[in-house]
Amino acid sequence: MDINTASKTMVDAKSPKRFQSKDKYYLFLMALPFLVLAFLFSYLPLYGWIYAFYDYRPGIPLSASEFMGFDWFTSMISNEIQRQEVLRVLRNTFAISSLNIATSVLPVIFAVFLVELRSTRFKKIVQTLTTLPNFISWVLVYSFAFMLFSVDNGFLNNLLLDLGWISRPLNILASDDHTWMAMTLWSVWKGLGWGAIMYIAAITGIDQEIYEAARVDGAGRFRLMWHVTVPGIMPTFFVLLLLSIGNFINNGMEQFYVFQNAMNTNHIEVLDLYVYNIGMTNSNFGFATAVSMLKSLVSLFLLFVANSMSKIIRGDSIF
Amino acid sequence: MKKRWYGSALLILMCAMLVFTSACSNNNGGNSADGGTKAPAASGNNENPDREEITIDVFSMLANYAGEQPGWFAKLVKDKFNIKLNIIASNLAGGQQKIATMMASGDLGDLVVFGTNGRDYQDAIKAGLLLDFTKDDLLNKYGQGLLANAPEAIEANKKQFGGGTAVYGVGFDVGTGEGPSEGATMNYGPNLRWDLYQQLGSPEIKTLNDYLPLLKKMQELEPKSENGRPTYGISLWSDWDGSYMTLAKVIAQFHGYNEGDGLNPAGMILTHQNKDEWQGVLDEDGYYLQGLKFYYDANQMGLLDPDSLTQKFSDVSNKIKDGQVLFSHFPWVDNVYNTPERTAEGKGFALVPFADEKVTSYGQSPYGGNRVWAIGADAKDPERIMEFLSWLYSPEGVMEANYGPKGLAWDIDGSGKPFVTEYGWKALPANAEPVPAEYGGGTFKDGTNQINNTTLKLTNINPDTGETYDYNLWPSTLNHNPDPVTKSWREATGVMTAKDYFVKNNMIEVSKPFFTTETPVTVPAQLQQKIDGIGKIIKEYSWKMVFAKNDAEFNKLQEEMITKSKGLGYDEAVAYEVGNAEKMVFPFR
Repeated sequence: MDINTASKTMVDAKSPKRFQSKDKYYLFLMALPFLVLAFLFSYLPLYGWIYAFYDYRPGIPLSASEFMGFDWFTSMISNEIQRQEVLRVLRNTFAISSLNIATSVLPVIFAVFLVELRSTRFKKIVQTLTTLPNFISWVLVYSFAFMLFSVDNGFLNNLLLDLGWISRPLNILASDDHTWMAMTLWSVWKGLGWGAIMYIAAITGIDQEIYEAARVDGAGRFRLMWHVTVPGIMPTFFVLLLLSIGNFINNGMEQFYVFQNAMNTNHIEVLDLYVYNIGMTNSNFGFATAVSMLKSLVSLFLLFVANSMSKIIRGDSIF
Repeated sequence: MKKRWYGSALLILMCAMLVFTSACSNNNGGNSADGGTKAPAASGNNENPDREEITIDVFSMLANYAGEQPGWFAKLVKDKFNIKLNIIASNLAGGQQKIATMMASGDLGDLVVFGTNGRDYQDAIKAGLLLDFTKDDLLNKYGQGLLANAPEAIEANKKQFGGGTAVYGVGFDVGTGEGPSEGATMNYGPNLRWDLYQQLGSPEIKTLNDYLPLLKKMQELEPKSENGRPTYGISLWSDWDGSYMTLAKVIAQFHGYNEGDGLNPAGMILTHQNKDEWQGVLDEDGYYLQGLKFYYDANQMGLLDPDSLTQKFSDVSNKIKDGQVLFSHFPWVDNVYNTPERTAEGKGFALVPFADEKVTSYGQSPYGGNRVWAIGADAKDPERIMEFLSWLYSPEGVMEANYGPKGLAWDIDGSGKPFVTEYGWKALPANAEPVPAEYGGGTFKDGTNQINNTTLKLTNINPDTGETYDYNLWPSTLNHNPDPVTKSWREATGVMTAKDYFVKNNMIEVSKPFFTTETPVTVPAQLQQKIDGIGKIIKEYSWKMVFAKNDAEFNKLQEEMITKSKGLGYDEAVAYEVGNAEKMVFPFR
């Protein structure tokens, strides 16, 4: 931009009317690419909901596919046993999601204590080791679990047998005891370090002067943590909490897919896995779309509820 | 200001391009989906002897290898046709989802291999994704091998899928003649550790349940494997389960029954191989529940591998290899144990059937099986692909595509009879034996035909030699230095092969080929959804029953399984499948 244009802009800017009309459009143009992207990737795909009303087969155009109306929606609750199935699946979904939300405070605690560590080297090692599992796929996690817990040659059984603590090997993977708990523990193990990154960043963002001021006031280490660090990262925590409430019904399926077997399927089958087992294995895209539609609506509803709750309780919300 | 304006205009332009390109790709998909009309441009230059090299995309739903075909088979195809094969394997890239993606993209590649002639194949025809072999007289001009060796299979495909005029593919395992189509061994055993069985005095086994006390004794005789791991009578795996527990269904296959009806997709019924009889999977006195009881009893006696539920097939295969398992359902699963070192010591698996057994066998079918070879509608050089496919269906092609070029692993002797060469004994069927550079290099194993679908049935007689294509059945092979286990088994049974044993003792039920003009049904989407739901219940309860603590729990679980399945529409599914079988299969065989 040369000087002439710059000065001209300044002249323009002095007149409030011109300022408005010119830069309004300019700003809009700057935002436009992102609006287009949001439209392309978030709104255009909604067109795909149309598949929920057809018996779609890949390769055959929609116009030649059979129209199903609301059959895919009603088939979920078509009879007593089917209703029980859906209820069971929802119960699992809600239980595991609740446990996940309950444990979402763990990364906060972990982050708060981690930044308190004096030795940088030790801190780095701990952080690397806890972040690493996040990058291991669930399939590998399962083979790791199988090595640890298999009956025939598992590490745990071998150890306990050698120590003489048990006489018969335990079959941990093929049991339905505490399935929800076990699944939660696995996901905590996998996600703890990764989840803490956001909070560590938030902690580094806290103004050091506040700490100094608190120290001057005679606050000890734990007082600093409780009265400065924790309030400092609460906004981050609540934003993430609200988003995870919005995702209450989406547990994902990989974890449960690799760990499922006949023994634990009663308690491990969450909604996403159920849709996979019923719909995707047989390319029933219509049914899968119908369920995901319902899921989107429920998620949206939950997010709004959580947001207004936050408005009422904390006087603060994300939108 | 001007520059600004340019910048903004550029931005808008880019956004517009983004929108339009995405719209364009959408259109393309739609176009090719409704148009099988795109004529493969007739290139008249195929008589040219030095044709340019082409690479064709082979989309095989059966292949377990992806990428360019390596080794001796690549060299063979390159020398004969100047074609390179680029194999796309849905098995390695998401399975059914990959197939769906390929279908939705409107291009299935050049040569296509379908795992079944069911829904995907029929949808591909409907969507115009497959080439009609009769178009431009392609079949008559370039498909002589097909017409000569599989005429009835072509005709059957035309009647079943092409409305009587078009040919959209050809089935696999085309064969003629009577009797079982299997090679030296059958698909099913059961096989036991022959050495232990002999040490126990080869007790007579009348029924399936007689295996259990015997396995108990075998386990006591050999409580630890060579590596010191505990041995199990039976070890199961769950990753092959479909609508029910696959290994419990195998019990029906020991009794002459098979899943489905031989034409339509298998679901909830088992039908007899050649009688018009059927049973539902959950029939109280049916073979499936009998199978569950068998494994339950095995578990009660401490014979069942406790990892059965959580392990995969590969884990079991390793256990068999280590000698941890004493019973095997399938002969092609236990051959990992029979290494030359072990058989030299007299240790090995061999067939030990029960007296009541009627093993399920597939007869020769001139109409071909349900795995289909087809050509993509947009194939680049349909003539040359047809030539290649035609060669695969010729006697020469069958021999070379399966066992390598003549002179390497096999050869013809002075009297015109085939024999396995010294090299062949080391390399066949697919060992990691180095291949000389002149034949393509690499190892024999890597160089095998990776498309993984057959053309003519290997147990057919090769008109060029008068022997079967399958080298295991050549007299020169059968008399080639049998190992001590095989020798001992032959002495004890008085026959040469497992197949001979079943045939001689009339313990076999062979399916008869039947011809129908009916297309295999595609199950209505809603019923299919119900069947999937029922299948989930059956699988879950089946495994729970096998590991039930006592009879009371076993019976309670069985009752629950049946109640729940019926609540989800089990009876409706069975009635539908039986109706299809009675209408489309039973009257024609």
